Amino acid sequence: MATRGYRKGDEQSGDGIYRCVGNLTISRAATTEREIDLMPDGMTIDLSGVEKMDTVGAWLVYRAVRDRGARVEGASEDVAGLLEQVKQADKPVRVVPEQEGGGFKRTVGELGEYIVDAGQTFHGLLNFFGATLIGFWNVFKRPTQRLRWNAVVQRFDLVGVRALGIIGLMSFLIGVVIGQQGAVQLRQFGAEIYTINLIGRITVRELGTLMTAIMVAGRSGSAFAAQLGTMKLTEEIDAMRTIGVSPVEALVIPRMMAAIIMMPLLSFYAMIMTIIGGGIYVWLDLGIPPLTFVQRLQEVTPLTDLWIGLIKAPVFGFIIALVGCFQGMLVEGDAEQVGLKTTAAVVQAIFLVIVLDAVFAVFFSSVGWV
Amino acid sequence: MSTSPTLPEGEKAVICIRGLRNAFGEEREQVIHEGLDLDVKRGEILGVVGGSGTGKSVLMRSIIGLQTPESGEVEVLGESMIGRDEDEAKNIRRRWGILFQNGALFSTLTVAENVEVPLREYFHLTPKLMDEIASYKIAMAGLPPDAGPKYPSELSGGMVKRAGLARALALDPELLFLDEPTAGLDPIAAQNFDELILSLRDKLDLTVFLITHDLDTLYAICDRVAVLADKKVVACGTIEQLLALDHPWIQEYFNGPRGRAAAAA
Repeated sequence: MATRGYRKGDEQSGDGIYRCVGNLTISRAATTEREIDLMPDGMTIDLSGVEKMDTVGAWLVYRAVRDRGARVEGASEDVAGLLEQVKQADKPVRVVPEQEGGGFKRTVGELGEYIVDAGQTFHGLLNFFGATLIGFWNVFKRPTQRLRWNAVVQRFDLVGVRALGIIGLMSFLIGVVIGQQGAVQLRQFGAEIYTINLIGRITVRELGTLMTAIMVAGRSGSAFAAQLGTMKLTEEIDAMRTIGVSPVEALVIPRMMAAIIMMPLLSFYAMIMTIIGGGIYVWLDLGIPPLTFVQRLQEVTPLTDLWIGLIKAPVFGFIIALVGCFQGMLVEGDAEQVGLKTTAAVVQAIFLVIVLDAVFAVFFSSVGWV
Repeated sequence: MSTSPTLPEGEKAVICIRGLRNAFGEEREQVIHEGLDLDVKRGEILGVVGGSGTGKSVLMRSIIGLQTPESGEVEVLGESMIGRDEDEAKNIRRRWGILFQNGALFSTLTVAENVEVPLREYFHLTPKLMDEIASYKIAMAGLPPDAGPKYPSELSGGMVKRAGLARALALDPELLFLDEPTAGLDPIAAQNFDELILSLRDKLDLTVFLITHDLDTLYAICDRVAVLADKKVVACGTIEQLLALDHPWIQEYFNGPRGRAAAAA
């Protein structure tokens, strides 16, 4: 079937007849719309030459009749039927939800909503914190029955063992960077030897735990949120509740225990790897042999630094798991929510970890662990 | 008339499948279809039935190109579907609409925007015209106007199906694939949906390929029914013709208590 398109009739002579020839379908809808727009109001649309019409073509003709007072001529039975169809379906529909107010008003409104949201999130987080404490208490009371060892051990593997590779590599490289940057700067004062102090103290006291927490938040916090969120969507969590299994006990507590127990272990491992990285750099660049490096490290790094690092680790682990599980449980509705909440879980976990780290820093300094 | 799944020589089919073979598993040992033949006539509503696991959905996926068969020929609207490149396939995809079992609406878009997706993909229309097209498609699918700006997560199950149907109809397809359209709907909603499909077929001159488990749907709207069993289409015909066969599955299906209830309705 050849598409001959339409002829605009005798536009020049101004008889106002729009003759459609061939296919009046969606493929030529844009052209047809333009051509009808150019015609004067009260035009006559001649459909006698139409071979094939679809609803889009019918809509264009119907619209001209409705809005521009056009008359239709020569419509076959099929064509007239289709025109009637679209006429019946003419119910204007909004495409996107209504938005209230103008620019400034809306901005203020959005800001307000954002603040209320943040407040509610914090409130919800405290609630969830309480629920997990109750969950922990229930598990603690009857650990043989209520603690799901299988789940816990599986989480140990996922959160801890499987993170060894990436955290080890990252820590090693950070060690090299600290050693290199430290050496370059301290060399200006002829104090290269203090590179060892720098490596030892910054790693054990701060970076080992902090970088591990950031990595665990990215790896496991996001996974917790996505897993629980998806389970929420597929109604698995509702199913659990109705069977009488507490989702907090079955899902949240194993993840929290894994994060709390694995964080100090991973942090310690990260410290060691960073020190190895720094030590190798110091050996190669400054010519300080490993044995000397270790001896010097022992002299300049107080044991309290290690305690500070290791005390922070389980707290960070708890925060990461808490926020991850909390955001996962907030998922409602559709797949996009899972993405949004996973992002929120990671961002909030890292933010809270850094805030707490600052609090810890001030606290430990003021109790004299300098 | 026979109950052969293929049409007699000379009659033109909209969908024509010959010797289709689909198999899954690492060594392709799990054969779903073997030597499957089927023809779909222009303008008919063909119901496809079969027990769970007989590969109804796989058959549909093979026809629409989501699943590449091991061997066999699939022709849709006179074009072979096997071994097509993307551009050629696009020309055929324009001419069909598909309603997936769970709607498969894009969750980040509103219902109206969902309907506009195929329009945007294939044509350069003015935004006003696209909004209008979406509006009347939504009305044709039997949705109230306030459903347009809603997101899929805000819709009920029946409304999701209707919204999916509106999107399937967006390009005025010649061919409509429906995967269990009435599954999960209450009987009244299912009946309304049946009527909707029937009236759309008559109004818009559609050919409908319908997978269903719903005996009421089969009796109410299907012109012919294809029965999937023993890895192929064992029979295809009107329900009366199928009842005359003595295939055990067909007898059990149509003469079971549910089948008889649907027949009586």
